Amino acid sequence: MSAVKRAQQWATFARTWHIFDCKWQDPYESANVIKKYLMGLHKPIYHPMNDCGDVVVCINSREIALRGDEWRQRAYFHHTGYPGGATWTLAWELHNKDPTMIIKKAVYRAMKGNLQRRHTMERLFIYPGEVIPEEVKQNITNQIRQIRLVPTRLDHIPEEEVQKYPKVMDYPEDYVLK
Amino acid sequence: MVFLTISNLIRVRGPDEFWRKRRIFRLAAHFVGRRRNCYSVAVRNVHRALVYATKARKLKKQDMKDLWNTRISAACEQHNITAFTLKEGLDRSNIMLDRKSLSDLASWEPRTFECLAAIAKQKLQLDGFIDTVDKKYPTGVNLNLKDVMLEAWLKEKK
Amino acid sequence: MSNSNLFLKSGFVRAPLQNGVGRYVCQLQRIVLKFCKSHGGSRGLRDFIEQDLVDFASNNPGVVVYLKPRRHRSPVVVAEYLNGDRVWMNMHNKTHSEITKWIEVLRTQQGDIASTRLRKYQYTDYPSVQGPWTPFTFKDPKLNVAELPNEEFGANNRLPMSATEQLRIMFEKQTLDVKPQEE
Repeated sequence: MSAVKRAQQWATFARTWHIFDCKWQDPYESANVIKKYLMGLHKPIYHPMNDCGDVVVCINSREIALRGDEWRQRAYFHHTGYPGGATWTLAWELHNKDPTMIIKKAVYRAMKGNLQRRHTMERLFIYPGEVIPEEVKQNITNQIRQIRLVPTRLDHIPEEEVQKYPKVMDYPEDYVLK
Repeated sequence: MVFLTISNLIRVRGPDEFWRKRRIFRLAAHFVGRRRNCYSVAVRNVHRALVYATKARKLKKQDMKDLWNTRISAACEQHNITAFTLKEGLDRSNIMLDRKSLSDLASWEPRTFECLAAIAKQKLQLDGFIDTVDKKYPTGVNLNLKDVMLEAWLKEKK
Repeated sequence: MSNSNLFLKSGFVRAPLQNGVGRYVCQLQRIVLKFCKSHGGSRGLRDFIEQDLVDFASNNPGVVVYLKPRRHRSPVVVAEYLNGDRVWMNMHNKTHSEITKWIEVLRTQQGDIASTRLRKYQYTDYPSVQGPWTPFTFKDPKLNVAELPNEEFGANNRLPMSATEQLRIMFEKQTLDVKPQEE
């Protein structure tokens, strides 16, 4: 193999580091997107037996959003293997204990259960906040687009802008706000 | 050897026993352990392997098709279109490329694929065909409804 | 891994060291003709030896030709090649013309190609004109200087416009329309 061809191969199979902001994202929807990048399904050279998966760094995993009542309804099952060792942890409990766990489990479950899955998961980094270690941060060259728009809270918008925003109507004087 | 009884005759499976077994052992040569050395085990596994081989001839084609589909949709994604858009657009512009050549183009000749993607998108826009999956543009923008429907709308008001 | 290539090795359609481009090196190095002097099965090979063998040897000075007479055995041709391949071919009851053609095949082929499974029916040294795809091929150059994570690259840009946004734009258009009339 000539030097040019070797460099060509390095370029084609280069690993890209992606960053994904989990803020206000549904972990189960975003798991499908993250999975695609982890497994290399976003590359036209994809093959299940070539090592073309990328690295994904997830930040803000503490601020994920579950649908509807799922924080209270969804239970995560674990069995220690001993009799009576079954536990059911609710999503909010799990999230309080480890804010990276829900997104991790979601990505793990989104992938097909084969020998490759655990190795692929090694390429996923999850951080609860915005702080990333410097040695991870310096590798990042791409950002994965979020699925939903992050809503801005009204109390985070400056007062002047709120005042300037066009109104359809004003409440009548004698209208009692709840 | 002289066979005096019927019971001995049952044992005889013909003069070609060696060759018959050898044929099976040849097919079992790449198996491991007793599967390649003991005939009774080998023959079972050879039959199983042949069945697998028969089924795999069809499965291989399906697998390749799936792989090409994955690659094409991955390639389409980076040009902001869906695989459906590409297929529909190329069909309408009479570009008859199959999955294999499209995926080959995507990885070996990426610039050609980029042009194909652009052609497909342009053709659909010309035809006024909206791909509902691509939500980048609000539905109906490419239809130029204003130009087409304006007169009709004006008439209605009168 | 499967050992399905235990007996049949696989390969590509390829000439060794670009043989035939610019110069040609005969890949056949040695050929042994084994035959019987009396048996009828060797008749074709005997004819070939009587009529064509001297011409064959003088035309191909690079090929070593051996004759091996042996009593009452089938005629056989063994060819050995530059890459170490050895092709054994039975010539029993073959006619003179058949043997001439087979010897021609043995002379011109580049090795034991009959026992190679072709992985593909085509081969090229230059598979790509534009250069193969890389992760950097269609990358937005803005990403090179961007500080990630960044709202511009992270937010979904493929969503339809929200109702609030549409209302705001309508309002702004209205104000634009109204202003010139006032002036």
